[in-house]
Parts: sequence; C-alpha cells; structure tokens
Amino acid sequence: MDGNSLSVIKLKNILLVTVPDDPGDDTIQELQNKVLNAIEKYESKGLILDISNVNILDSFFARTISETTQMVALMGGQTVIAGMQPAVAITATELGLHLGKAISTLDVDKALDIFTDNFKTV
Amino acid sequence: MPYINSHSNSRYISAFDKWQEQKDFVKFTKDDEEALKKMHPTAMKYADDFVEKLYEHLMSHPDTKRFLSDEKTLNRLKLAQKAYFLDLTSGDYGEEYFNSRLKVGIVHQRIGLPPRIYMTTYCYYMQLIIPTIYGNPDFDAETANAIFMALYKIINLDQELAISAYIHATDEVISRQSEEIMEMSTPVIQIWDGVVAAPIIGTLDSGRTQQFMERLLEKIVETNSPVALVDITGVPQIDTATAQHLIDTINAVKLLGSQVIITGVRPVIAQTLVHLGIDLTDIITRPSMAAGLKVALDKLSIKVTDMSKTTQGS
Repeated sequence: MDGNSLSVIKLKNILLVTVPDDPGDDTIQELQNKVLNAIEKYESKGLILDISNVNILDSFFARTISETTQMVALMGGQTVIAGMQPAVAITATELGLHLGKAISTLDVDKALDIFTDNFKTV
Repeated sequence: MPYINSHSNSRYISAFDKWQEQKDFVKFTKDDEEALKKMHPTAMKYADDFVEKLYEHLMSHPDTKRFLSDEKTLNRLKLAQKAYFLDLTSGDYGEEYFNSRLKVGIVHQRIGLPPRIYMTTYCYYMQLIIPTIYGNPDFDAETANAIFMALYKIINLDQELAISAYIHATDEVISRQSEEIMEMSTPVIQIWDGVVAAPIIGTLDSGRTQQFMERLLEKIVETNSPVALVDITGVPQIDTATAQHLIDTINAVKLLGSQVIITGVRPVIAQTLVHLGIDLTDIITRPSMAAGLKVALDKLSIKVTDMSKTTQGS
C-alpha cells in the first residue's frame, strides 16, 4: 500500500480520511503529512479518521494517531476516530495503547454529528 | 492423588499404571498377594455372615439407614458387598480390580453418600475380619501377621482410590457448574435505541472480563449504541483486580466511540472503592440501572414523558 492511494476528502470545513486495511508505517506517515497540509490549505476545523477497515492497530499507528491529534489541535482542529472494530479496541486496551486526545465515535455519521453539535454551540 | 488428571473430562480417572506406582509405594508385593490368597477360604466361609452383620450395623444407624430404603436395593447391595469382600482376597489386583474400586467412589459420590460413612464402614469391616485372621487355627502367628499386613495395604489402596474418585467426581461437578455460570452470567441486551445494558452477576475475574468485554463491544457495534450501562448490582464485592478489569472494559468501549455508565453502585461498593483508592471520577456512576438509563437518555437527547400527566395538565 503506497501513500498515493490515500485520499483526504474535504467536506465543508471538515476533513475525512478512510484509513486502508493494514496500513504500513510509510502509509501512516504519509497520512499525517497529507492531513496537516490539507488543514493548512483549507483551514479545517475537524478531522475524521475512519478506521473501520483496520484490523490491526500497532504501537506505531497508535502513537501517530495520538501525535497527529495533538498537531491538528495546534492548528485549531479536533480529531475524531470513527468505527474502530471491537477486536482492535480489546487489543489496544490489553497493550495499553492510547490515542491521546482523540475522540472516538461508532461511525462516520456520529463523527459528523459531533462537529455539527460543536458548531451549533460555538 | 497422583493419578487424577483434573483437566480431563473423562468419567474415569485414567492411568492404571499410576496405580501400579502407588502399589510399589506402599510396598504391596507378590508376597502380599499370596498372603491374601491364603485368606480366601476363610473369607468364603465368613462372607455371608459378614455381609449380614455389616448391614445389620448399617441399618441400626439413621445416618446410614436412609441410603438403604427398600428391600430390593438392600439385596442387590448385599450381593455387591459380598463380591467386593471376596475380591479383597482374590489374589488378582489388576486393572479390573482397579476399575471396580474406582466405581465404588464414583457411585457413592453420585448417591450422595459422604466419604465419612464409607471410611467408618470400612473400619467396622476390619473389626469383623481381624478376629478371623488371628483366631484362625490354620494360620501360625507369622502367617497371620503377613495376612494382616497385606490386608492393611490393600485396604489402604482401596480407600485411596475411592476417595480420589470421590474428589474427582466432585471436581467434575464444580467445573461443569462454573462453565455453566460463565455462559449464562454475562448477557448484553439492547434496552433502548442507542443504549445497551450488561448486568454483571458474580465476581469478575480475568477470564470472564475477556469474554464480557468481547460480548459488550460486539453488541455496541452491532446495535450502534453510543451508551452502555454496566450494572454491578450482582457483583458481591469489588477488589483492585475487579476494578482494573472494569476500567479496562470502559477504556475499550471508549475507543469504540461509546460511553460506559456504571450502575448499581451500592453503598458497600462505594465505600470499598474509596478505601481502595480507586479513581472512577472520569466515569459516570449511578446507584441504580434506572438512574443510569435517565443519564443515557439525556445524553442521546431523548425525552420521555408521562402521558397521563401531560394530558391532565393540558
């Protein structure tokens, strides 16, 4: 899986990224770069990472998500992780992996709800 | 109980060869077998008499009498008892003997006869047999001693087998029950659109946590529920390990994008949690499932109204 197949979709003032099945370290690094560049370009308020295709979450991936969340926050955006699989959540808990300040939601729909709710209140 | 394999599901405790080792251990030799054989004619002679006396003794005690309810059972038992007694001096202590002795323990356990009765009955038995060894004109003092020793050894082996079978049978019951409890004690049910509830009954050990966590997470994803109520009313006592298991479950649920509300926090549980210094401040906790459901509905922006009151008011 090379980084070029990753697409960062802009939806109004949010970015949506579907993480491919079993991403390699290069893909994950590429993902971070693309996301940060897109936020700079569109001044996006939020990032949704759809990880429903991901079967294995390793420590590198977990750390990158956590770091990306912090970076996105520094650039004024909120990160939401959508659609984590139960098996991935269990493994992550057992290994003590943390996703930092990222919020989780059950699916992309609910992730979009978070942003619309937030924008209503803000 | 060296020949008991506690992990095996077999009805019989396997390993006859282990019993051979056991025989070596108590120094039960060919000489002993020969000595017991010498006793066989005497045993034949007294067998019926002994069995009668034994059952007379058992019938005279209410503790043992209740196992000997009807005439038919009694007669069958007397026959079995006679065969059992004659087997003692048969001189053949092979696999058949081993299996028959094991069965004694298994059957006694099944009918609920306590090992105490089995042991004391054996003692009474000895009181009947010993005089026929030492009072026997056919045996000189040395032979009598040899027979007594051999008898003592084989009876010890007998008892050990029966007691091990008792323990094994009881262990089987326990392991079957704990499996059943494990299977039925962690249901996860959807109680509202977007809310699942999981009442935990019993102690939460690591094995059950794993199973519980899997079921809860699967159900949350399946029903797309943002809120999960975990009810601990049925958890008798909480310790640091149980609390950690709960926290792990809560963290896994959080990763999915759903939220756990702990319900059924009884006063004693609240006291223990504080005394143990377990920090649950980041987690919503409520004393009852009903209170938890209210929080859940609030989170989902669902309002439940009492129709009767609304109509009255309008």
